[in-house]
Amino acid sequence: MSTPHLLLGLLATGTMHGYELKRAHDTRLPQARPLAFGQVYATLGRLLRDGLVASTGPERLAGPDRTAYTLTEQGRATLDQWLSSVEPPMPYVNSPLFAKVVVALLVADVDRARAYLVAQRRAHTERLRELTALKTAPSVTVDDIVAADYAIAHLDADLRWLHTTLDRVADWHREVHP
Amino acid sequence: MTQLQARGLVKSYGPTPALRGITLDIDEGEIVAVTGPSGCGKSTLLHCLAGILRPDAGEVSWRGHRLDTWSEAARSRLRRTDFGVLFQFGQLVPELTAAENVALPLLLAGTGRRAARTAALTWLERLSVAECADVRPGEMSGGQQQRCATARALVTEPRVLFADEPTGALDTLAGEQVLTQLVRLAREHRTSVVLVTHEPRIAAYADREVVLRDGVIDHTGLGLDAPLAGGSR
Amino acid sequence: MSLATLTRLALAGNRTDAARVALTALSALLATLAGLAALTVLAIEKPPGDAWQQSEQYVNALLREPGLRGGTAFALVMLTIPVLALAGQSARLGAPSRDRRLAALRLAGATPGQVTRVAMLETGLASLAGTVLGLACYLGGREVLHRPDDNGQLALPTDVLPPVPAMAAVVLGLPVLAAAATAVLLRAVATTPLGVVRRAGRTGSPQPWPALLIGLGVLAAAVVEPIQWALRGAALEWLALVAMVGIFGAVMGVIFGAGWIAHLAGRTLHRLARRPAALLAARRLTDDPWASSRTFAALLAALIIAGGAAAFRASFQLRAELEQEQNRLAGFGDDAFHDSFYLNTMDLVDLAVAAAVAIAAAGLLVTLVEGIVSRRRTYAALVATGVPRATIGTSIAWQVLAPVVPAVLIALGVGYAIGRLLTGDLSPGARRPDVPLEQLAVQGAGAIVAVLVVVGLGVLFLRSTTAVEELRAT
Repeated sequence: MSTPHLLLGLLATGTMHGYELKRAHDTRLPQARPLAFGQVYATLGRLLRDGLVASTGPERLAGPDRTAYTLTEQGRATLDQWLSSVEPPMPYVNSPLFAKVVVALLVADVDRARAYLVAQRRAHTERLRELTALKTAPSVTVDDIVAADYAIAHLDADLRWLHTTLDRVADWHREVHP
Repeated sequence: MTQLQARGLVKSYGPTPALRGITLDIDEGEIVAVTGPSGCGKSTLLHCLAGILRPDAGEVSWRGHRLDTWSEAARSRLRRTDFGVLFQFGQLVPELTAAENVALPLLLAGTGRRAARTAALTWLERLSVAECADVRPGEMSGGQQQRCATARALVTEPRVLFADEPTGALDTLAGEQVLTQLVRLAREHRTSVVLVTHEPRIAAYADREVVLRDGVIDHTGLGLDAPLAGGSR
Repeated sequence: MSLATLTRLALAGNRTDAARVALTALSALLATLAGLAALTVLAIEKPPGDAWQQSEQYVNALLREPGLRGGTAFALVMLTIPVLALAGQSARLGAPSRDRRLAALRLAGATPGQVTRVAMLETGLASLAGTVLGLACYLGGREVLHRPDDNGQLALPTDVLPPVPAMAAVVLGLPVLAAAATAVLLRAVATTPLGVVRRAGRTGSPQPWPALLIGLGVLAAAVVEPIQWALRGAALEWLALVAMVGIFGAVMGVIFGAGWIAHLAGRTLHRLARRPAALLAARRLTDDPWASSRTFAALLAALIIAGGAAAFRASFQLRAELEQEQNRLAGFGDDAFHDSFYLNTMDLVDLAVAAAVAIAAAGLLVTLVEGIVSRRRTYAALVATGVPRATIGTSIAWQVLAPVVPAVLIALGVGYAIGRLLTGDLSPGARRPDVPLEQLAVQGAGAIVAVLVVVGLGVLFLRSTTAVEELRAT
């Protein structure tokens, strides 16, 4: 996740103070990890240094919170470039789930791997159900639904992988320990 | 309160066993997903629970009465009063309009035509397909058809709704809309739902998940706050 | 595609396909027998002598008198009409599964033309088997039935054989005709690799214009006699042609009118329906009113002939009565000679009509069962949701009976009117035959009972086609 680009995007909607930026981030991306204030200011400092944002209002007296930030021309160009570039589709498989099954097969046996897969499947299913409940709650917003959809689709993919891997784990073990 | 009880259900098609001893309780207002790989006996279980098929062995009880010993006529009557049934596709009568399709169960129960139509329109409205009232199934989208079918299944305000892959023929968004409305209405009316599906994301709408494998319960996925004993593993 | 491949594909299929092939062959066999019988009658040579010289070697006057043989042959040919209707209806038997098979062929890369050829070959081969078998039956029957009685007279013209080219035309022509008809029928159906799409046929609600055809037919029958009087017997050939065209028009009018009747019956039923069974039937009638035209065509045609026959019989009966009266007045007494020939002939016509109604009922059964089977998924879903099978059965009965009862009445009425007008009056101002209400009622009731029996048999199929397994079929 690219926090600098996110902040640039949020600033494209208008001039904001640091704390406003953090709040906007947390509302717009409800299922993302909340942004820490320190991270917001550190990122803003870097953006200011690179000339992508400009600080408006010399209200230094009232503390850093009173400084408002605005997007520069250069910042807008950078944002445009980021928006039009495609993210590399899954260049590496670096899922902890995958790694854990591999290690379980290396150091233990089929049962251990299977026990892990079953436990993980249960955890995934429960999270899936939580997100579905959130999505179908009466007071739900589209922000919530879209965020939940993203997570649900990935959990669903993981769950399919867990199901098929459970069926393949014996064959896999034979390959690892010939 | 337990509405529907299955005890040791066994059912075979010729030499092929479909169910090999299923025990299951369904409470009032509870939404239960029945999942599992193709050919695990999901649909057969639904058909036995709904009294469409008679099990070879075991019992099905509806509010304490043995359903599997009833005559076909009595089970038919139960299916159109206390049960609602929803399939993947092809259940609407092609020559009838949506409103007439939805009114059909009421007409069978002896409701007058005007009253039946009013009720049908109300339910079409609840499923957001009021604009389809005078349209025939062939002229609707798959999602609209399935919502009309849902309206028909719910129009009698059944105590249990049996849904067999209700979103199987729909795209993700249409399927989700049908299911969201189905679940919302079921919760509002405290209708129990037996939801057969092979998709984890559809099963996630349920309070509880029962996973079948080769005709037996493989495991049960616990609901958020509904502890359940049982499951073979 | 080689002929061997084509044949292999044409003969691949399940039991329903086998039933369709068998029925097609049977219809071809019956049609061949009727055609060959007509040809045989026509092949009887008139012995030398004047125009009324009879062929004395036969028992029956229908064969003896040269003036009657044409009519006999015509009646035999007419008997093939319900047979051909049966063939047409059995062609739809198991059509959904055949359509799926054809679609699979398209998916495997067959062109639309090749698929049509496969279907044509199936019908053609089945019909050829039927006609060849029919020829064998005919030739065998000739040998077996060639039994002169004590006077050396024959019951049937087993002493003559139609010319070989004419026989070959029947045996080979019928299969070609059947194959061509299949090609034409398949034109209404586009077999795509993804299944069979019925092209939109006639749309919109039927209009009562077929009544015009009926009116013209009756009018044609009405003018025949006055013109005959005016012309004093001259130019009878074209007059007969006008009458034939008129009758044909009236028959087509009644058949197409059945579509309008079905639509009207559907609308009325929809307004009045209180129960779901009637509602279902009403919607199906308004949805495809032409289905009634197709289904009842043969039955209605047979009933028009029946109505006409009733008029002729009444007229002949009156003539016989008048003759007897005159004989009595002339002092010959009651047991004087009276010619029962015409009445005997009418018995034969009635027998033919009964056979036609039976064949038409068989065709109706085929259509009905086919309709039930092709809608089995919807029916199975309805039963699963708690709709009693009896409701579905009742809706099928409504759907058949609502249009058929008025259509039968109209067919009998039109037939009687035409027959009555054609027989005319014996002389101006003479006694007129009473309307044979009794016979017409028996005919109408007989047809409706036949339809009821067919509906009952068709509904028996509901149980197997609404089994829950059908929910899995697509």
